[in-house]
Amino acid sequence: MTEAADDLLKVRNISRHFGGLQVLRHVDFAVPERSITGLIGPNGAGKSTLFNIISGFLTPSEGDIDYAGVRITPLSIQQRSEMGLMRSFQTPQVFPDLTVWENLIVGCHKHGRSGMVEGLLALPVVWRERRAASEAAQRILEDFNLGAVSGRLARELPAGQQRIVELARAVIARPRLLCLDEPSSGLSADEVQDLMATIHRISKTGVTILLVSHDMELISVCERIHALCFGEIIANGTLAEIQAHPDVREAYLGIQ
Amino acid sequence: MSSRRIAVTASRTLTIAAWIAGIAVWAALPWLLGRGSVDILVFAGLYTIAGLGVSFLLGQCGIVSLAQSVFYGIGAYSTAYGTTVLGWPIPACMLAGIVVSGLVAMLVGTPVLRLSGYFLALATLALAIMGHVLFLEWDWLTGGTLGIGGIPHLSLFGFTLNTPFRFYYFIWPCAAVVLWLHYNLLRSRTGIALRAMRDAPSAAKVAGIRVESLRVRTFILSAVLGSFAGSLFAHYVSFVSVDSFGIDRAIGFLLIAVLGGARSISGTVVGALFVTAAPNLLSRLGEIHPLLFALLLIVAVIFLPSGFGGAFADLWRRLGGSLRPTVKDGTP
Repeated sequence: MTEAADDLLKVRNISRHFGGLQVLRHVDFAVPERSITGLIGPNGAGKSTLFNIISGFLTPSEGDIDYAGVRITPLSIQQRSEMGLMRSFQTPQVFPDLTVWENLIVGCHKHGRSGMVEGLLALPVVWRERRAASEAAQRILEDFNLGAVSGRLARELPAGQQRIVELARAVIARPRLLCLDEPSSGLSADEVQDLMATIHRISKTGVTILLVSHDMELISVCERIHALCFGEIIANGTLAEIQAHPDVREAYLGIQ
Repeated sequence: MSSRRIAVTASRTLTIAAWIAGIAVWAALPWLLGRGSVDILVFAGLYTIAGLGVSFLLGQCGIVSLAQSVFYGIGAYSTAYGTTVLGWPIPACMLAGIVVSGLVAMLVGTPVLRLSGYFLALATLALAIMGHVLFLEWDWLTGGTLGIGGIPHLSLFGFTLNTPFRFYYFIWPCAAVVLWLHYNLLRSRTGIALRAMRDAPSAAKVAGIRVESLRVRTFILSAVLGSFAGSLFAHYVSFVSVDSFGIDRAIGFLLIAVLGGARSISGTVVGALFVTAAPNLLSRLGEIHPLLFALLLIVAVIFLPSGFGGAFADLWRRLGGSLRPTVKDGTP
């Protein structure tokens, strides 16, 4: 079997420009199934744009995204989500006026089928779905140590805990590929340690993880890292290889 | 443990007692009030149904709709035209109104609901104006300014609902059923999805929620409520004219949602009572009454930012808070 056959995500020749501004240039890389893959780059490198293209928030000007052997470039965010491609956001996007518990229930949305009419009439299917979602939420609350705050509104939580809620909500949706956008921003050193442990734990359940960060400590959880600079992949390899790579050192530290 | 059980029992008893007292007062009111006052209560019931559509859209979807008067009008004219000109049975006419309203909501909602905030509110205002003009101009269908008269009253179990007294006992159970359905919806998968997409649409999309389609479906549901209320209105007053479906009616429905507290379903009832009863009570004070109503609105909005519903919920929490055990987790 070739290495390519094991790739869950393939970013093929992606370019994107906004008017005259070229943000991504022929970006090519792959995320092997069950790996933790990192994407690093200085501010303005195009990481978020690339992430938005992968998750369906933006369309590329050129190139394609393949996921699980399917060309997903024309698919909507929701269709990608149903295929198991989930993402988090740079600023945690919890549902602020919902409790932590309800945030998790939203994570189960795509496992349900009941619609508006069933909801209005409170048909048995609604209750079945709610029971299943409640059971899943209970497990995830314990896994993520959120039991004590499950009845609190998400907006009342500190930023670090909101990140955990967002992560828990993604995990309850049973993702196959989890894309995390700067998950350590706003976290304390201790919280970053906890986050790294959590990422390892999620990875062990078979979830493939794509991590965007410029936090070198967090990025050390990655098996393979791609470095993006001015819209181009300038290096890839392990953390040690990346740190030693002259182009990366120049981009990050200005060292020749 | 036993004190906790006592607290739970006390809280439950309080709730049941409040319900029984409420129902008793509701049932007794028409016997105690004059015909005019019962008529106002009937309108409050009609407006609860139509206002709930607006309130649900605003509170759960964040959509400000001024278009409810159009759907209210479609419901009224469908049943008026259907029963008097076509000779259709009443349920068929009401159903036709609901279908037409739903279709209009779908056709208009699909492009318009891509807007948000003030632009969306303005677009729905434009819809209300267009509806009013069409109701006026299509006089072959609506009777224009002359309206349509002779709309038959509803009959139920041999009773013709031709007095405020009788209609009162019909409209409020209808309103109660509609409120109950919306309670159900709010607690279902769709209801939670609605609130999620209202607060963080991007994250809702990632969770697999089809945001655009859900907004349109909720708009359709709101239109259906408007149409249903409009049909009932036509059968109650047995005469409809374009005056009943103007911009003032649209604003009235939005007021119900804002005053009632858009996030509270039961608040809609209070909002509807306020919008129907307050102008009437104030009119006894003479010519100055529209000004007083406006003043009252300003005071209500300043002191009750989350509407009557929000204020009652606070009060209820405080009343029951000392009795009810604290909820430690959000487990339903």
